[in-house]
Amino acid sequence: MPEYEHNIEVHGLSTWFGKKHILKDITCYFRDNTVTAIMGPSGCGKSTLLRTLNRLNDLVPSFRRKGEVLFKGTDIYGVGTSVYDLRKHIGMVFQKPNPFPMSVFDNVTYGPKLHGVKDEDELNKIVETSLRKAALWDEVKDELQSPAPNLSGGQQQRLCIARALSVDPPVLLMDEPVSALDPISAAKIEELIIELKQDYTIILVTHNVQQAFRVSDQAAFLYLGELVEFDETKRILEAPADSRTEAFITGRIG
Amino acid sequence: MTMTEENETITMQEEEQIHSWHSQLLRNISKSLHDFRMADRPGKVDMLGKWGLFIPAVASTLIIVLILAFLWFESVPILVDPSGGPGIVVSPTWDPNRDLFGIAIFIVGSLLCAGIAIGLAVPLGIGGAIFLSEFCPMRLRQPIKMIIEMMAAIPSIVYGLWAYLVLVPIIKNNIAPITQSPTNGLSLLAGGLILAIMLLPTVVTISTDALQTVPLSLREASLALGATQSETSRKIVLSAALPGVGAAVVLSLGRAVGETMAVLMVTGNSLQIPYSLFDPTYVMTSIITNQLGYAFVFPLWRSALFAVGLVLLIMSICFTLTAKLFIRWGMKTRGYI
Ligand SMILES: Nc1ncnc2c1ncn2[C@@H]1O[C@H](COP(=O)(O)OP(=O)(O)OP(=O)(O)O)[C@@H](O)[C@H]1O
Ligand SMILES: [Mg+2]
Repeated sequence: MPEYEHNIEVHGLSTWFGKKHILKDITCYFRDNTVTAIMGPSGCGKSTLLRTLNRLNDLVPSFRRKGEVLFKGTDIYGVGTSVYDLRKHIGMVFQKPNPFPMSVFDNVTYGPKLHGVKDEDELNKIVETSLRKAALWDEVKDELQSPAPNLSGGQQQRLCIARALSVDPPVLLMDEPVSALDPISAAKIEELIIELKQDYTIILVTHNVQQAFRVSDQAAFLYLGELVEFDETKRILEAPADSRTEAFITGRIG
Repeated sequence: MTMTEENETITMQEEEQIHSWHSQLLRNISKSLHDFRMADRPGKVDMLGKWGLFIPAVASTLIIVLILAFLWFESVPILVDPSGGPGIVVSPTWDPNRDLFGIAIFIVGSLLCAGIAIGLAVPLGIGGAIFLSEFCPMRLRQPIKMIIEMMAAIPSIVYGLWAYLVLVPIIKNNIAPITQSPTNGLSLLAGGLILAIMLLPTVVTISTDALQTVPLSLREASLALGATQSETSRKIVLSAALPGVGAAVVLSLGRAVGETMAVLMVTGNSLQIPYSLFDPTYVMTSIITNQLGYAFVFPLWRSALFAVGLVLLIMSICFTLTAKLFIRWGMKTRGYI
């Protein structure tokens, strides 16, 4: 086992889509059991960074990358790494709730079944614990067999969180998980994120400075693909070191 | 003078009348045009929705009902005759010379033929659709789809000719010897195969379209959980598109039992129940096509053929309704409706 300090570390990462240089030499790490916010104006590469961490960008044929992403000390792009194992360990929640068109129960058991869990009792247990962690259990425990797309938007997003948690990943990537939701559902999910960080390393992309302030411990500020600042969230928001960060925080860019 | 004046007045009045009548007509026309254009605006009468959909819906229902009534009316003589009766659908002997009009062999023949065709075309077609929509390189997808769509436009007689000259000899010389079955190639298998080939394009193209409407976000969610591409396409994409794929199956079911020419040419048309794939068979459409000409002057015979048509129509209505119910169920459990 290689030595490592953090679940995820990024060393000198640059990425391209075709000729377009998106991320420029990014080096940062994501501390365990904390929430790291990735902030920045639209199009600066936040989603690209996040999707590089679980190799979802591999699906884009024109994607190229230089530099290392270490998960538990091993380069995830190195030879011999299984992308399927990797994604089992790095869960993801998307911007728009995207439950599978099947029952609530089947949504949560999809991941575990893929990875070989067959036992009925164990699946039931996974469903309950995942839904409890996602603060959804009490609302859906009586309608586990009803189709997931019939839930409300906020419930759907919490179901997606439960689905991501179902395979028990140490790291959770969240790409603007509340931006498509109403304020009350958003607040609920923010609370949930704070709760979850006790057990998970969470990386949260957000547009919203207040949200970053409320939920995150450290923050990375991206601007046109460059990592401009990376520090404690409080420090960045209270006393931004870079004028671009300040402009973003005060709402002049973004 | 007075006359002229009167005349003129009348003309004036008439003209006025005509004029006002004209303008009213114009107003009416332009109003309905206006309504038509504003059909989607709230507070307006939805002309397009009201008549544009109502008329075709009523018309097509009416046509089905009329056809059913017509077939029923034509079938009544055989259904009330002592030598016929409703029992003909289970009686296997068709011998118009002896007034025996059992149509069971045709029903069995049609069901077997359609069953083989559907059993082959649906899995193969869905497999092809998954390949086209999920694995095929972008650049090749459209050309391949276009070729397949062209296959759907080939007239069935052409398929029949090809099957007669190519498929039937292959069955006779290459396939039947494997099981040492004596056959001249004109068989249930030939009918099922050619039907399957004819249905394949429909299944592939409609299923491909259905698979492609599944949003990328669902594929990503599946992959992000550690699923492989193939697991994702089978367990998420296909499952999400199943109602659409079901529609493809509905269409092919109707065509499978209704197809005439190609099947007529290759099944051997022998009055027997087939016990093996290599036995010849006789399907419902074939018996009607083959004998209606002779039967026309014999009321019972003719009526029996119409009864075959009636059973055929009822069968395809039943298939379609069952499939529709299945699709509805699929949409419900997926939360689409
Ligand atoms: N699949 C792709 N192919 C080509 N270019 C892409 C692709 N995905 C993203 N890009 C480009 O990469 C750049 C960064 O996109 P990204 O989605 O990472 O931005 P973002 O910071 O997440 O923005 P937003 O806040 O709007 O979500 C954009 O210029 C975008 O056009
Ligand atoms: Mg984004």
